Amino acid sequence: MMSNANIDTAQVDADGSNATPMPAPLTPGQVLRARARTHRGLQIGMGILLGLLLIALFAPLLAPHDPFAQTLSARMLPPVWSEGGRWDYLFGTDQVGRDYLSRLIYGTRISLIVGFGAATIGMLIGVTLGVLAGYFGGRIDYAVNFVLTAQLALPGLLLAMALVFIIGPSVWVVISIVGVLHWTYYLVVTRSATMRLREIDFVAAAQAVGASRLQILVREILPNLAPQILVIFTFELGVAILAESSLSFLGVGIPPPTPSWGLMIAEGKEVMFFRPWQVVLPGAAIFLLVVGANLAGDGLRDITSPEGRN
Amino acid sequence: MFSYLRIAAVAATIPFMLSTGARSDAGDDTLRVAFGEEVLNLDYNNTTKREYIILSDLVDEGLFDYDPEANTYVPSVATGYEYLDPLTIEVKLRDGITFHDGSALTAEDVAYTYNWIISEGSESKAKSAIERWLDKAVVVDSKTIRFDMLEEYPLAVRDMANRIQIRKAGTYDDDPNAAAIDLVGLGPYQVVSFEPGKEVVLKAYDGYFADSPKQPVQIGNIVIRSLPDSGTQQAELFSGGVDWIFKVSRDVAESMGAAPNIDHVVSTDLRIGFLVLDAFGHTDPEGPLTNVLVRRAMNHAINRKEIAEFLMGGGAQVVHTACHPAQFGCDQSVADYAYDPEKARALLAEAGYPDGFDLELWSYRDKSVAEVVVAKLEAVGITVSLRHGKLASLNEARANRQIQAYFGTWGSGGTPDTAAIARVHFSADSDRNMSNNPKVTDLVLAAEVTGDQEKRDALYSEALSIIADEAYWVPMFSYAQNFLVSSELEFPTYADGLPRLYRAKWK
Amino acid sequence: MLKYSLKRLSLAVAVAIVLSFVTFLLLNFATDPAQSIAGEDAEPEVVEQIRKTYGFDRPLLVRYADWAGGVLRGDFGESYYWNKPVAEIVLERAPVTLLLAVLSLSVTIIIALPLGIVAALKPNTLIDRMALGIAVSAQAIPNFWLGLIMIILFAVTWQIFPVSGDGSLSHFVLPAFVLGASSVPAVMRLTRTGMLDVMESDYIRTARAKGYRGGALVRRHALRNAILPVISVLAVQLGHKFSGSVITETIFAINGIGRLALESILGSDIPTVQMLIFLFAIVFVSMNLLADILNAVLDPRLRIA
Repeated sequence: MMSNANIDTAQVDADGSNATPMPAPLTPGQVLRARARTHRGLQIGMGILLGLLLIALFAPLLAPHDPFAQTLSARMLPPVWSEGGRWDYLFGTDQVGRDYLSRLIYGTRISLIVGFGAATIGMLIGVTLGVLAGYFGGRIDYAVNFVLTAQLALPGLLLAMALVFIIGPSVWVVISIVGVLHWTYYLVVTRSATMRLREIDFVAAAQAVGASRLQILVREILPNLAPQILVIFTFELGVAILAESSLSFLGVGIPPPTPSWGLMIAEGKEVMFFRPWQVVLPGAAIFLLVVGANLAGDGLRDITSPEGRN
Repeated sequence: MFSYLRIAAVAATIPFMLSTGARSDAGDDTLRVAFGEEVLNLDYNNTTKREYIILSDLVDEGLFDYDPEANTYVPSVATGYEYLDPLTIEVKLRDGITFHDGSALTAEDVAYTYNWIISEGSESKAKSAIERWLDKAVVVDSKTIRFDMLEEYPLAVRDMANRIQIRKAGTYDDDPNAAAIDLVGLGPYQVVSFEPGKEVVLKAYDGYFADSPKQPVQIGNIVIRSLPDSGTQQAELFSGGVDWIFKVSRDVAESMGAAPNIDHVVSTDLRIGFLVLDAFGHTDPEGPLTNVLVRRAMNHAINRKEIAEFLMGGGAQVVHTACHPAQFGCDQSVADYAYDPEKARALLAEAGYPDGFDLELWSYRDKSVAEVVVAKLEAVGITVSLRHGKLASLNEARANRQIQAYFGTWGSGGTPDTAAIARVHFSADSDRNMSNNPKVTDLVLAAEVTGDQEKRDALYSEALSIIADEAYWVPMFSYAQNFLVSSELEFPTYADGLPRLYRAKWK
Repeated sequence: MLKYSLKRLSLAVAVAIVLSFVTFLLLNFATDPAQSIAGEDAEPEVVEQIRKTYGFDRPLLVRYADWAGGVLRGDFGESYYWNKPVAEIVLERAPVTLLLAVLSLSVTIIIALPLGIVAALKPNTLIDRMALGIAVSAQAIPNFWLGLIMIILFAVTWQIFPVSGDGSLSHFVLPAFVLGASSVPAVMRLTRTGMLDVMESDYIRTARAKGYRGGALVRRHALRNAILPVISVLAVQLGHKFSGSVITETIFAINGIGRLALESILGSDIPTVQMLIFLFAIVFVSMNLLADILNAVLDPRLRIA
């Protein structure tokens, strides 16, 4: 899981060049929109994310059954395309007779909640530390660097497993732990970008006008970092979703009976030689969601800083 | 998405594609067995867990043996026992019994084993069970041992049969774990080689006594491999690398049993599943579970029949007592709460919880059962959060009295006697006892030291009827054991669910 | 450089010590190791007896001090479950994980390098797009799921490779592929970027002017320079392989230290968990450090700076 966390830094353009105004008569916003219109990957990625977001929002309308409703007499039904399948349970039922399709649909909610939640927590930690270190430098920078090195020395997955196991699994515990372990990219990028911005004229100008440090950080620096933070956020969304699914798969993530895709794979693993779709379907769903996030991240990076395209 | 569905469709046919090419094991007379647990220690005197019991049955003998068909204890290396007085048992040994190294069994070996187990330096897991009643074992003559007891204890013969495996005098003198790797036993099979965590190779012992209740032993060699991953076990069974696996989930057993070279064998089991409720109020002295109406409501809320029939299947039964119906003293005439969600809701309202309450339910195995229980309790208005985790976490929380309710199971160590489940769950010092009714505790402990079987039966009846009336538990079902065995193998099962591999034979 | 290395390593040790203390406390609060040892049907007296035998009845701090004192002497204690010195078990199992890590890294190199180079030589063509597509997909596939799919397809449906275990080299094919695939995106992207940069450089333009073309140009000049940053990233990835082995080894039932880690956590085998967390932390930092050193050694510009 955490092995997927190593987005190479090359993906994230750290030189802050997007802050430089475009020479063309178009406003920066128009330029972005123009680029987005021609970027196929971005469109596909955003399309997937938006689609799954809609599924998550309208899950109660889309799901044919209550995802928690058990019918023990109709347990372990095969999907409709197999012998013995029924049209009222399109993808069959699970160990306690819950509708598989409905659980898949509701699983979208869990993945997105964990993804957005954890990526937000990581962002708050990483950006705060990065901006502070980059803006103030000196001792604060040194301390932040220490924390960063310590974090990089942590065996992430192992630690997440141990922590969830010890604290006791719940959705919020998983969100917090995944978030707390995924902030380093925000830090690395915002730190160097802030260092550069600090030297640029408009910050100096704001200082001259007598703005407080906090005001400068919030009003001048942060808005300029926003595009890069958004790019990392999109990637980390995918990373967090993968992390949650791994933890749930190992039995130290989202607790039952909540429909989590990783948990569904773990439940299906037991019978995967006979009912492989119970492993294939939720895994394909995770894959789709994370591909969406990564394509969107790639695309956002490309259109905000075309030089960094690779 | 479409391509994934096709993969699924292709893969769905695999059980049948795999059924070819199985290797014959009857040919080399070797039964290949897979355990999910690693075998790390051959000495059952120093271990617990079911895998070790199965192994010990093959390599060891106690003084007596349990006959599952007659439900009695029969002489093994002993010829019988006699109570000289309520606190003294005399046991005589058979002639001509030899250890795997060829040396003859004497009374000295037996006395040594028992005295060592209760001695200071012993690390035996049997120590706590034996030291309760045994003062000392004394050699009377070369074939006779006298057991001096501390108190009357009707289950002494059970302990002699199930718990203590006889070792040669002097075995543990230098090292309390001396028999962990190099085991010299008395059983039908002797150890050829042992790689801890990987493999135990056994072969039939030529000098095994003909009068043993385990006879006739038919298979020449048994190899036990540790395969912790259930997928690996299944794959090995398909390819013929393994002939016998157990602790198989029902769904896997039914799917794999459909293959032509594999049989699905089901047996009943003494293990029962139940909910234990904090009736005493350890977690909250004023909590809803301290109200008997609430506990009865929870009993009415659970559909035992549905769980036993659909989830457990096979040999599973509905259980409404705090013991297995097959156990001695397990009175079935106690209060039985029928599945009736309406009544459950009414009782909750009567108890002052018309809108239910919050309940944290712990569980450690059979997640699907736990999920069904959660759904049923929620259906009558109780809001349940499920803490499903490892046994070690559940026990720690229970020891700290932080548990409102848990889904527990108990196998009674295969002992068909209510004593094997009652004391553990209702004695005063057990943290499993969450009702702490002194009356129940007294009855259970009195039964333990009562020799008269009729009186003992009556004591358990009284205790069990209080437990049922007060609804301290929600008893649910008895387990079924699912075995998957090669079609070449004839594998008989017994009511207590314990697999007896020495009874297996080739068809 | 030496001073820097020592500083980084000592930091890693400090982190590992803090971590070991925290996990020790938390695991002891949350679980009862005696119960794990005894099994589900153990009577309370047996559990109590085990507690005494293993010394779980002593105060936590005394037990931690005991453990820490042992570590200073190079003794990581005895596993509750295996009844053997932890160091012995880890030493027994580490070679399997090392083999898996090296094999999977080879898989990464075999897939990612050619893909990255070809993509860079033909930028914005179909090949380039396909390479990027592979990278995006590989990054999005849950590792454990890929493992299960590989088992279903290659071990069960087509029966080309064994389902699980670590008995022979063929047992390692699927796990090495699964674990190796997770690093492909990062290494491929980096190779591609590196190649693109080098191909644009004056130095290659000069070589082109001198008449070098095609394969010779790539082999003699471009590749060597483009690969420099990749090598150091590979060192970091090797560290990640150890961490990734937890899931891969569990799925393929490989008896390495990754699976040992999961089982020890779930089984409350505290001494084993502590040594492994220690070990993983040190491997991580060493690999990151190795990457830095490689960077400095391989890239003369950095050495001067």
